[in-house]
Amino acid sequence: MSGGPAVRVSIESSCERQVQEVSLDGVETYVPPLSMSQNLAKLAQRIDFGQGSDSEEEEPNGESRDTDWNKQEPEEDEGLVKFQPCLWPWDSVRNHLRSALTEMCVLHDVLSIIKEKKYMALDPVSQDPTAAKTPQVFQLISKKKSLANAAQLLLKGAEKLSKSVAESQEQRRQRDFNTELLQLRSQWKLRKVGDKILGDLSYRSAGSLFNHHGTFEVIKNTDIDLDKKIPDDYCPLNVQIPSDLEGSAYIKVSIQKQSPDIGDLGTVSLFRRQPKAKPGSQAWHLKLEAAQNVLLCKEIFAQLSREAVQIKSHIPHIVVKNQIISQPFPGLQLSISLCHSNIEKKNHRASPDKSKPDDHLYVLEHNLHQLIREFHKQNLSSSVMPHPASAPFGPKRLRLAGPMAYDKPEINCLQHSEGLLEKIIKQAKHIFLRSRTARTIDSLASRIEDPQIQAHWSNINDVYESSVKVLITSQGYEQICKSIQLQLNIGVEQIRVVHRDGRVISLSHQEQELQDFLLSQMSQHQVHAIQQLAKVMGWHVLSFSNHVGLGAIESIGNASAITVASPNGEYAISVRNGPESGCKVLVQFPRGQAKDLPKSDVLQDGKWSHLRGPYKEVHWSRMEGKNFVYKMELLMAALTPCP
Amino acid sequence: MEAPPVTVMPVTGGTINMMEYLLQGSVLDQSLDSLLHRLRGLCDNMEPESFADHELVYLLKGQQGNPFILRARRSLAHPTAPWHLRYLGQPEVGDKSRHALVRNCVDVAASHSLPDFLNEMGFRMDHEFVAKGHIFRKGALKVVVSKLSRVLVPGNTDNTEPLSLSYLVELSVLAPAGQDTVSEDMRSFAEQLKPLVHLEKIDPKRLM
Amino acid sequence: MGVTCVCQVPVAEGKSVQQTVEQLHKKLEQLGAMKQGSFFVDCETYHATSNASGQPSKLLYVMHNSETPLSCLALFEGGPFLTADANFDVLMVKLKSHFQNAKGHKVESRGARYRYCDFLVKVGTVTMSSSARGISVEVEYCACVVPGDCWNLMKEFMQSFLGSSVPELPAVFSSKPEGLFVPTDCMDTMSQYLELFSKVRKQQVLPGSSVR
Repeated sequence: MSGGPAVRVSIESSCERQVQEVSLDGVETYVPPLSMSQNLAKLAQRIDFGQGSDSEEEEPNGESRDTDWNKQEPEEDEGLVKFQPCLWPWDSVRNHLRSALTEMCVLHDVLSIIKEKKYMALDPVSQDPTAAKTPQVFQLISKKKSLANAAQLLLKGAEKLSKSVAESQEQRRQRDFNTELLQLRSQWKLRKVGDKILGDLSYRSAGSLFNHHGTFEVIKNTDIDLDKKIPDDYCPLNVQIPSDLEGSAYIKVSIQKQSPDIGDLGTVSLFRRQPKAKPGSQAWHLKLEAAQNVLLCKEIFAQLSREAVQIKSHIPHIVVKNQIISQPFPGLQLSISLCHSNIEKKNHRASPDKSKPDDHLYVLEHNLHQLIREFHKQNLSSSVMPHPASAPFGPKRLRLAGPMAYDKPEINCLQHSEGLLEKIIKQAKHIFLRSRTARTIDSLASRIEDPQIQAHWSNINDVYESSVKVLITSQGYEQICKSIQLQLNIGVEQIRVVHRDGRVISLSHQEQELQDFLLSQMSQHQVHAIQQLAKVMGWHVLSFSNHVGLGAIESIGNASAITVASPNGEYAISVRNGPESGCKVLVQFPRGQAKDLPKSDVLQDGKWSHLRGPYKEVHWSRMEGKNFVYKMELLMAALTPCP
Repeated sequence: MEAPPVTVMPVTGGTINMMEYLLQGSVLDQSLDSLLHRLRGLCDNMEPESFADHELVYLLKGQQGNPFILRARRSLAHPTAPWHLRYLGQPEVGDKSRHALVRNCVDVAASHSLPDFLNEMGFRMDHEFVAKGHIFRKGALKVVVSKLSRVLVPGNTDNTEPLSLSYLVELSVLAPAGQDTVSEDMRSFAEQLKPLVHLEKIDPKRLM
Repeated sequence: MGVTCVCQVPVAEGKSVQQTVEQLHKKLEQLGAMKQGSFFVDCETYHATSNASGQPSKLLYVMHNSETPLSCLALFEGGPFLTADANFDVLMVKLKSHFQNAKGHKVESRGARYRYCDFLVKVGTVTMSSSARGISVEVEYCACVVPGDCWNLMKEFMQSFLGSSVPELPAVFSSKPEGLFVPTDCMDTMSQYLELFSKVRKQQVLPGSSVR
């Protein structure tokens, strides 16, 4: 205050007019002052008719109204500017009064109706007066408080609930274990040993004699964290299966042509995809089923390898590691292997197998399972109880053998039961023989067009026998050339051919034999066809032979020959057809037509000219016609004189 | 103790020197069902089978010594089944350590002409009875629970009278001589039948 | 098991048993019969050591036939027969104090077995105490069990290789009360053998029998 320069304070009068807008350059636009009529209209509009209607709240509303007004003022101003001023200053007042009158009338009517209590009744409506009365800050605070209270209550309840839920879940788990155990019990054999529950996986009760104990242990699954979410696949019951039965297994049966290197043996390991879980079945059930399957596969393999060692055959069966190798036919190898995979091993072994072609014979695998079950059943039924009861145990039928004086064949029937291996080898032989027969016929059919060969396989066949009907026909002449119909009964070691006329020929398993046989039949067919054709064409068969003893020797079968004469006897056709040498067709002309024949001194008379003349060979390959029989028909037609 | 058979002549076939190991006991008729239940649980997985047999006991009296006894049995339920002819030797004495009675045993299955044939051989029928009951099996062990009935009119098996109010329970094993381990198995099996039935080593001689 | 006929074939003049048997084999092979292994039939004789009633007891014969390898056949001559299992032999050992085995009385017939279609022919050398005493021929017609139906056929077949020494219808068939038209069983065969064996046994006492 003593020294320093005085501070200048500039004072500006407050603006009398209201600023409407401040432009960007700072120029203020003012609202033009209201005219008298406008001012009146504005004031008249301010009259709040809603205020006076509830008289009870006059006092508190009076105070708040002032503040309200203060606040509302700028908005009102703006509103005035926007709306066009009314034509008449009291217009709004009049409107308000009118509506008030209407409301009063309505209220009066309502009250009079209520008085009657016929149509309407008044009920008190609860209202929180404080909410409206207390200032907003208080409201906020109180609301906050009550909310906090409510939250606390809810939290307490939630805590209690979660506790009880956890408890009940624990109980349910306990109960679930029992129900699961009950289910397990209904499907598997269980027994209690000490404080453990042991189950039986083995097929012993079904007649198996396999000495694997096949027990599993039932475990209560308790290692689950209560706080964490329980996984969906959680099961309170778990089973512990023996480690050697884990994973999946199957028996692979295959037939190979040549024997692989000995060093390569025993390494067969193919893995199969895990079986897909059926919906609704428990995890333990799948686990047990898989283990049981492994056990069964092991039993099959053990049985087979035991038999392989015991059975004496010309070529001994080889048992190496998880593979049994047998030679059903020379140069052929049947391998039966046990493929057992553990889950860990699976990953790094599965890939290389993909490249190999799958020669697995599923039929034989299936039959092996069937055979072992038959074997089980036999074990069960063979141990029937003796009658009278004092007699010793033993197969019932063998007990009869002594007192009934059974002879050798009868006893053999009783005693000789083929082993699994023998049966499966027989089946494999049959399967191989059947497929090779099919291949032989097919390859002949595709290689040789004339005559045609057809094979009709029967749908139903035995494991050791199946049959096929082979027809040899000429295209276009199926109706007349039906001479060769063969029934091939394919057995285990040999093929029996039954001719249409009942002749039976046995062929060995050698492929060549069947092929040669069919070739010779096809060659015979041609000559048979000519015979049939001659009948249709009216030619006469002079001679016919299926097996000609003359001429060059065929390497396969015999040549067949036929000679037919034209209806008037002038011409003769002689055909010789061999499976290897092919056909040779000769035509004999009447002597009279032979020009190059030297005139004989002896045969002067004209009647001699009707004698048969020399033979001339027909260039068969140059003959027109799509097949042998058609060519022959043309030839016959050419040699038959027109009537 | 019976001497092992000396083959004075060539024996063409048959199993020589088989031994029967036997434990016996009895249950009252009332407790039969619970015993059968227990046996069904213990024995091999087979439907329990009932039987009805007719047994004839034949004696051949020699000039000296004990008569020779043969038991011929036929099944009434399976009339076509062969007869069963059985020779049982004297129980081996001594050897307290063994848990079962052991005796020599020859089982012969024979044709239906057996009674006539035995008569022709000089055997005479001493007594006959009908045994009806159930038979169980566990491995080589045979359990026979049977009711014995007296035959009132000789030869008529329809007319019988029960001998007692209880069932005879026999646990037996056939084994070649010298396989004494089976008696151990029998003992443990008999243990499992307690207290329904007490199977013991009973010497038939002492009862006579 | 079909109808059987067992007969004894006399040893040919000036030939040994062995030679006669070989001659028969030859004839059968010429017929077209195939040799199918061998056979044997043996017979043990027992007699009761004690006899309570004092009557002379009948002899008990225990026989075996390779055709029924699990059976043991016990017979009394003409009396009841018993078919049992092989344990009957063991029982006879047990019975040795009551039934004594007549040693030296064991007779057996061993030889070759031929099959000719439905016929089974067994030519055996009958031996007793290890000396050959005769030849037995058994012909079985396997396709029939009623002797009355097939006897003529069998007779004709036997004529083809036995010539004049064809036997008559065996007494076991003709003496049956039911007649010829009942099925046969193994006992008929065994009683025919038994008959043949006793004949052979009696031959032994005859001096100068045709035994080499």
